[in-house]
Amino acid sequence: MKAVVVENLKYRYPSTERLALSGVSFEVEQGEFIGIIGKNLAGKSTLCEALVGLVPHFYKGAYGGRVVVDGVEVLSSSVSELARHIGIVFQNPFTQITAAKLTVYEEVAFGLENLGFQREEMVKRIDYALKLLGLYAYKDRNPFELSGGQMQRLAIASIIAMKPSIIVLDEPTSQLDPLGSEEVFRAVQSLSKEGITIIMVEQKMEKIAQYADKIILMNEGHLVDFGAPEEVFSRPDLESYGVEPPVFTTIAKSLGIKDNKTGLYPVTLEQVRRLMIGESHRS
Amino acid sequence: MARVLSLYVETNTFVQRLDPMVKLLYILVAVLISFIILPFRWVGAAFIVLSCLALLYARVFARVVPLLGFSFLILVSIVIIQGLFMPGNKTPAISIFGLTFYKEGLLYALTLCIRVLDVLLAFALLVLTTRPSDLIQSLVKRGLSPRFGYVLSSALQVIPQMMSQVDSIMDAQRSRGLETEGSLWVRLKAFLPLIGPVVMSSLLETRERAMALEVRGFSASGKKTFLYERESSTLDRVLQWALIVVLILSVVLRFVLV
Repeated sequence: MKAVVVENLKYRYPSTERLALSGVSFEVEQGEFIGIIGKNLAGKSTLCEALVGLVPHFYKGAYGGRVVVDGVEVLSSSVSELARHIGIVFQNPFTQITAAKLTVYEEVAFGLENLGFQREEMVKRIDYALKLLGLYAYKDRNPFELSGGQMQRLAIASIIAMKPSIIVLDEPTSQLDPLGSEEVFRAVQSLSKEGITIIMVEQKMEKIAQYADKIILMNEGHLVDFGAPEEVFSRPDLESYGVEPPVFTTIAKSLGIKDNKTGLYPVTLEQVRRLMIGESHRS
Repeated sequence: MARVLSLYVETNTFVQRLDPMVKLLYILVAVLISFIILPFRWVGAAFIVLSCLALLYARVFARVVPLLGFSFLILVSIVIIQGLFMPGNKTPAISIFGLTFYKEGLLYALTLCIRVLDVLLAFALLVLTTRPSDLIQSLVKRGLSPRFGYVLSSALQVIPQMMSQVDSIMDAQRSRGLETEGSLWVRLKAFLPLIGPVVMSSLLETRERAMALEVRGFSASGKKTFLYERESSTLDRVLQWALIVVLILSVVLRFVLV
């Protein structure tokens, strides 16, 4: 079974004219790490919200096409029902704290309480999630006393505890300092290792090139490209979509370093290094 | 620093550990009996003594004093007005500075004062010795809508957060030269550039938080569970029944007396 199937998805927010998403189709395999890139207002966040059911259930508006997540059709399900299959982490760590709970431990329990899990199962899942995200030491703190990076990891832990098979992250590091971002990236990597399907919107191209199996390039509500990072970042028209390739790709392009077999430019430091060593061996 | 709006004092005596519902029941009993069922001054006074003893035992009596100080002003005005001007005043009691206080009015004022203190102390017992989240959880468990419960418990943390946000917006505006101190007119002029950003950011935050709650199953239709299930202790049950018995006895007593 595919983790995510999107077929010809069209969506317009209420009282707007423009389609926020028009004719988007793609499929994601279980366990894949998908990066979504594109300039502002390209429809990245709307796409994320469409996967978890906030589009259309939270916003209403005009909806067409089909989204199937973990075998569940989004349109005929509810956001709460989908929460068992797919979770989302937003940009602002601060607003993802429920504010109804006084400790980190209880905060993670919030979603489990809502879904009616038994106490023993809750404790097991909370411990697992807090340890995976490296927050177990802070379990008795007030959530608002955490740093930005810790708060964002708490938001991820709260989602992980509900054991969705897919996690969507909508620019989770955009409001964090470099240290906090690094914490979150490491956390996301460990989730990926656990076999969870990850769909992540991110502006830091070096990071996304390093981690993602495939990249979705969005522009004005359309899906422009869906492929391996090397393919997407080697596109000559990339800048016209408002996207800067990773700095390694830019350097490689100007130096003419590319993989001769595929004709694609490298996207990570490691790939650049391998290609350059290869060159020097041949010469 | 995270702040929570709450008067709860953590001294961890048995009063703190009691089921919040027992304390709610105590308020109900204290008010019902001394207001309606047995409206005698000594009954009200007995409840005042009982509440004071419980507050002393819970080591939170020091926190009640400011509450009493605040109500003192109202009580004094009740005594003056009723003592001087109650329509049924006949028997003069004392004269001070040529003002005559009447016995009927003073007694009525005493009844009112006892009732005010009775209610105040019974509520103080609940508020000072109960963690707000425990109270809300036990209400939700007994059928209060979880949505309303969330509104109550989040307000306790969101309001202090908003206040610190107001502080930082105030600092930001001041650093751009906005005058926030001085005459009333200056303060009024400063109000708009301060309140605008606060309201806007609160609205945005509320929408984001609503989405974050939704994706964590906030509107799930099934039955909710609780991480910390509070087992009611023997003491809880004994006190609960004792209060119910007292309530029934007082009703019986009322019919015997009348």
